[in-house]
Amino acid sequence: MSGNRHLLALAALATVLAAAPARAQLTEEQVKAAFLPRFARYVGWPAASQPTPGSAFQLCVIGRDPFGRMIEQAAASESIDGRGVQVRRLPSAAGAAACHLAFVQGTAPADTGRLLLALRRFPVLTVTDGRAGPQRGMIHFTIVSGRVRFFIDEAEASERGLSISSRLLALAAGVRQRR
Amino acid sequence: MNTKRLATFLLGPAIAALPAAAAAQDVELATAEQIPDLSQLSIEELAQLPVRSASKRDEPLSAAPTALYVITGGDIVESGATSLPEVLRMAPNLQVQQVNGREYAITARGFNSTETSNKLLVLMDGRSVYSTLASSVFWDLHAPLLEDIRQIEVISGPGGTLYGPNAVNGVISVNSRDARDTIGALLRGTAGAFERTAAGRYGFALGDNGAVRAYANWFDREDLRQGPIGPLIDDSFRGWQAGFRADVGSGSDHFTLQGDIFDNETDSLPGDGNQGHNLLARWSRVLSDAASLRIQAYYDYFERRLLLTYDSLQTFDLEAQLNATLGNHELVVGGGIRTTRDEFVNNLNPFRLNPSSRRLWVYNAFLQDRISLTPELSLIAGLKIEETSFTGIELLPNLRIAWQPSPRTLLWAAASRAVRTPSRIDRQLEFLPLLAPATAFESEKLIAFEAGYRGQLSDSTTLSVSLFYNLYDDIRTTEFQPGGGLPIQLMNGLEGNSYGLEAWGSAQLTSWWRLSFGLSTLFKDFRVKPGHFDLAQRDSLGHDPDFQLFARSQMNLTDRLQATAALRYVDSIDSAPPIGGYVEADASLSYRLSDLVELYVAGRNLLHRTHIESNDAQRGQLVQRSIYAGTRLRF
Repeated sequence: MSGNRHLLALAALATVLAAAPARAQLTEEQVKAAFLPRFARYVGWPAASQPTPGSAFQLCVIGRDPFGRMIEQAAASESIDGRGVQVRRLPSAAGAAACHLAFVQGTAPADTGRLLLALRRFPVLTVTDGRAGPQRGMIHFTIVSGRVRFFIDEAEASERGLSISSRLLALAAGVRQRR
Repeated sequence: MNTKRLATFLLGPAIAALPAAAAAQDVELATAEQIPDLSQLSIEELAQLPVRSASKRDEPLSAAPTALYVITGGDIVESGATSLPEVLRMAPNLQVQQVNGREYAITARGFNSTETSNKLLVLMDGRSVYSTLASSVFWDLHAPLLEDIRQIEVISGPGGTLYGPNAVNGVISVNSRDARDTIGALLRGTAGAFERTAAGRYGFALGDNGAVRAYANWFDREDLRQGPIGPLIDDSFRGWQAGFRADVGSGSDHFTLQGDIFDNETDSLPGDGNQGHNLLARWSRVLSDAASLRIQAYYDYFERRLLLTYDSLQTFDLEAQLNATLGNHELVVGGGIRTTRDEFVNNLNPFRLNPSSRRLWVYNAFLQDRISLTPELSLIAGLKIEETSFTGIELLPNLRIAWQPSPRTLLWAAASRAVRTPSRIDRQLEFLPLLAPATAFESEKLIAFEAGYRGQLSDSTTLSVSLFYNLYDDIRTTEFQPGGGLPIQLMNGLEGNSYGLEAWGSAQLTSWWRLSFGLSTLFKDFRVKPGHFDLAQRDSLGHDPDFQLFARSQMNLTDRLQATAALRYVDSIDSAPPIGGYVEADASLSYRLSDLVELYVAGRNLLHRTHIESNDAQRGQLVQRSIYAGTRLRF
């Protein structure tokens, strides 16, 4: 009987708490999707692979797509020196030579590793998500104190001829510096 | 601070525009209206936005064709739980019995009790921890830092080809975070009338692309009261565990080195308690676009002292696994060698192991092929070959089919064979002239048939249902000699079947409120085979409730205040001595004072002052209500 009374008390508490005003929180994916096209602003590509004046940066989502339309919405409002960001989805690394930025996520961590390896031939800024496994691109999302942050592999980026602005590096949770 | 305030200010309208029901995590159908406009924020402001953590269904594991339940690191921290077995209560496909202040019995799909829950594989970051003494898991040897657990995967049923020995009724795989994701300091303390804990961790970057963390975890639990079944025992329990983990990875290589050391004591007799240590190294390398390799080695040692008995176990293990994709085949091939040296000394009663110390070997090799027949349909065929010092070669095949008509729906079915190879007690326990070693004791065998559904019913609800039908043979009996008379011997005299249903799901009711439920049922029908007779009266079948029900509510009331409550009903245990079913509740309320400080109060077993979960006649005590306050500092 005393158990039932406790149950009632708990239910009452739950109802009171449920009625309390609450603020909605963004999902990790929403914030990550907002970051992705934004990175283009803080990265320099080799002259040969920069988009021609008037054409857009290519943001590729390779493998799994955890973002859907969120990423198109984020890309739509991005304009860097008059150049927009165009989103493309690729099932594999084939056709990735034209990408400027690539969010890479395989069906399994090892699969992500394989995609990353295939992309090493091109000057593409690779981005991975810590949620999907330990394999890291040049930018690797992580969560620090409930905020979306990222690690930056500046050494890898510089080997591919990419330069990363100090403003982005300052935001990183950790940087692997260029030698 | 200013940036943060600015972000909050700017974000206000965006958040207001977010409909309450927008659990826009599933992006397939997420509409533009549900997506707040973040485009006006600077990149620094984006980095300051608090986010709701990803839900389970975002894990790529959702494609695994098994009865898989995932406990996330977030679930663990929110629950306020202070020990690993209490965390495992969240998995509806496990049955957790707290036996006394120190011991738990945990199983999946039946056979529960401290001595008979011997058909489970438990992995701590890839290190197998079941004991060769009785094939059971001593839960009092494991006190990892709960805040550093990334996730726990709980599989009910044979795990399939890729898991190691003893994965018969289930697999529990506890995975800690990559050291690169635990940079910084954490301090936690909890205090209540019944239990006190303190823990700390410090993680720092190591070189360009690596990190190391070290942790220590201390606990002190009071004695539980005597129940109606077991004798009064001194089961107060205190101890510590400390350890480290280092991860270094760049490009295609990832290297992990980790280790733990622990020591704990109980009040049964002076000097009673457990101690041990372990060290594990793992290297994974992406070889090409289509292949990857993983090699792992570990050493583990523990010793236990309780009531004039002593046992120790030293393990060396080496395993390797190669994944390769060839056309529409995903191949996994691998193998492992494990050797153990144990010792068992008993001054309490005349039962002995003969010999008292022995080295054992386990070899296994496996091959699995996942064939994509169509983009939606895949067939998984696997074969594991296992050989131990006690038994010859065992063939463990399994065949699975997975049909994923849409990214939101997975239907699967499986047939597998699994065995529990004999433990030291099964083969070499002796008490002459009463009990002779069972030199002919064979593996206990299972053929399991399973089918399941896992998917998303809507943007905000998930459901998983699995059915199983298990055929067991050669389960342990205690028998007289074939002609009658002494000595008695352990034999493989029981056969039977079990079947049941496991279901769980969750609903993200609003962006801040998530409800989960779970159900598991179990029916057992066993018989003594012709020509056999069981003196132990089917004790090896364990003591299981027929069903369990679970419900959990997780609320982010504000971005600082979180409340969780969990309710469980566990049906009565009817095998002798019978005990009644019970309803119990756990709850936790946590307030984040700042980025640095979190305060919480939590309670376990809130509905009754005491209740009983185990009918263990030697060890069972009354489980007690426990309320405690805690704080976590992160900097």
